[in-house]
Amino acid sequence: MSLFKYVVRRFIYMIPLFLGISMLSFMVVFAAGDPISIATLGRPNITEETKQALRAYFGLDKPIPIQYLMWLSNLVRGNFGRSLYGGRPVNQLIGSWFWETIKLQLVGILLSLAISIPVGILSAKRQYSKTDIIITSIALFGVSMPTFWLGVILILIFSFNLGWFPSAGAYGAPSLWPTIFGTNPFMDAVAHLVLPALVIVYVSMAQNVRLIRASMLEVLRQDYILAAKASGLSDRAVTYKHALRNAIMPVITFLGLSFGGIVGGAPMTETVFNWPGLGRRFVDAAIGLDFPVVLGITMIITVMTLIANLITDISYAAIDPRIRIE
Amino acid sequence: MSERKRFGLRRDEKRESASQWAVAWRRFKKNRAALAGLVMVGTLVIVAALSDLLAPYPARPDPRSLTPLYEGEASQPPSWKHPFGTSAVGYDVYSEVIHGARYTLYVGMSVSIITMFIAILVGAIAGYYGKMIDNVLMRITEVFLVFPSLLLILAFVRVFQVAAGTGFWIIPVLGIEVPIGLTIVVMILSIFGWSSNARLVRGEFLRVREMEFVQAAKALGASNRRIIFRHILPNILSAVIVVGTLTIAYAILLEAAVSFMGFGDPNAITWGQILQEGFPDVRLLWWGEVFPGLAVLFSVFGFNLLGDGLADALNPRLRE
Repeated sequence: MSLFKYVVRRFIYMIPLFLGISMLSFMVVFAAGDPISIATLGRPNITEETKQALRAYFGLDKPIPIQYLMWLSNLVRGNFGRSLYGGRPVNQLIGSWFWETIKLQLVGILLSLAISIPVGILSAKRQYSKTDIIITSIALFGVSMPTFWLGVILILIFSFNLGWFPSAGAYGAPSLWPTIFGTNPFMDAVAHLVLPALVIVYVSMAQNVRLIRASMLEVLRQDYILAAKASGLSDRAVTYKHALRNAIMPVITFLGLSFGGIVGGAPMTETVFNWPGLGRRFVDAAIGLDFPVVLGITMIITVMTLIANLITDISYAAIDPRIRIE
Repeated sequence: MSERKRFGLRRDEKRESASQWAVAWRRFKKNRAALAGLVMVGTLVIVAALSDLLAPYPARPDPRSLTPLYEGEASQPPSWKHPFGTSAVGYDVYSEVIHGARYTLYVGMSVSIITMFIAILVGAIAGYYGKMIDNVLMRITEVFLVFPSLLLILAFVRVFQVAAGTGFWIIPVLGIEVPIGLTIVVMILSIFGWSSNARLVRGEFLRVREMEFVQAAKALGASNRRIIFRHILPNILSAVIVVGTLTIAYAILLEAAVSFMGFGDPNAITWGQILQEGFPDVRLLWWGEVFPGLAVLFSVFGFNLLGDGLADALNPRLRE
């Protein structure tokens, strides 16, 4: 019961956060002054009457607070409006690209977690050993590396030089561009996934390893670990049962908070690998100043981030009963 | 003032603060990684200062920057004459990278300064006054912290760049010419980058606020402003310096990404801009991507090492 109440409270708490973010995002429209004149800049053959008609069509002739409320009420009902170019509904434009982003990001995040937790623990348990120094240097290297550049280097090596994986897209033309995975359509999709997923894995792993190491070091110093060791428990039991359960808490918090950053980084990976996902759609829309699409994708990723935060909170409460009592 | 001199307080204060920094320097010197970071950052600063001497060809608007093209040496691999090769258009990549160092420092330093200014303002007010003000400010900070900032950074940069047009803006007092588009990137990166720093400053303020010397200052009737700026701020200066250094690394990385995705300023040939221009030809002209990318990696790595080293030296408590 108390867990249920806790979840409801966290959910209600997210509403002002959602409203704040939506307002901040919407500011991009009125920061531009008038989207239609900006989008038609450098096209003198569009007359003032046409612009006026366009404004009326997209509802941009109303006062900004009214525009915001109209946009928000449509948004809540799942209607993201129409693209300024061609007037197609944003939902239709985003369509399948949404799932491509989800696929890539989920594979990347889950793989990086699966690798970084044991590596971080190893690094903490052998603090200042050679293994630790190598791991922390690799992690610091990953934090300092531009994500997109790592992608470029991987393409140069594994795609252009060795010819193992395709360099762009999510599917396609295995007969034109044979990879080591053969021509089976499923394996072709996997082959396309390898390099972009690797980029996400390395960059988010670098952050996670640093965090898990720091958190483990903190916990391993505690008295209850000494007590557990003194009572004759095996090293394995102490590490994974006593230490990890306490050390994982800050990592979970951080993951929830950084989810937005990881998924929000989609434009970078997707630009390099020409991945047909939300990130690339977003870059195209932002360059073309297509505001409804820009706002739509921002809000989709915001909602994904908020859901990830909620899941974080719930798992937090599930692991640590103290949270629920508070 | 005269009272201080009469009691010799000033000299004492000076000696004490000098010794505090000397202790930190002694700790810093022992840390090899930190020294490496200092050398890397120093190299970057020297290259930026002497870029006109170090680069064989002048920077972009100058027509002589296209000399390799006129000599029929476009798209050449690295050689003694062109250590980093030449681009498809016919620029010398080595010269471009050297000239880019200035923009990198400009972006890193200004984003760090503006970000820390906002962070200290918000963090100090929230941490010192607490209660309702703290609650409101931290909720606003959370909005900035949670959402996918890269998306809005790109959208805002694009909108403002289109609205402001391209060209140069002359800083009134200093008389330095800065590209408008790049300055917009700096502003937007700062507006979206202060939130985590503000949380940290707030945490430090919460900690120091409860200390005895603050209570003493309050009891002596010092004003809030005086307590914040003269008593608490100097005590959290080490944390501010560390976070400021790490923010430089963050800004350099993000600017490179923004430019790479095509949102940069064509008037400012930053490393990200070189990477963006070279990407379509990467299959044949790999040097146009590898060397500018290494320059970014080198600088960011340097600032990260320096920041970590400063954290160890100035404030062992901050160490992760």
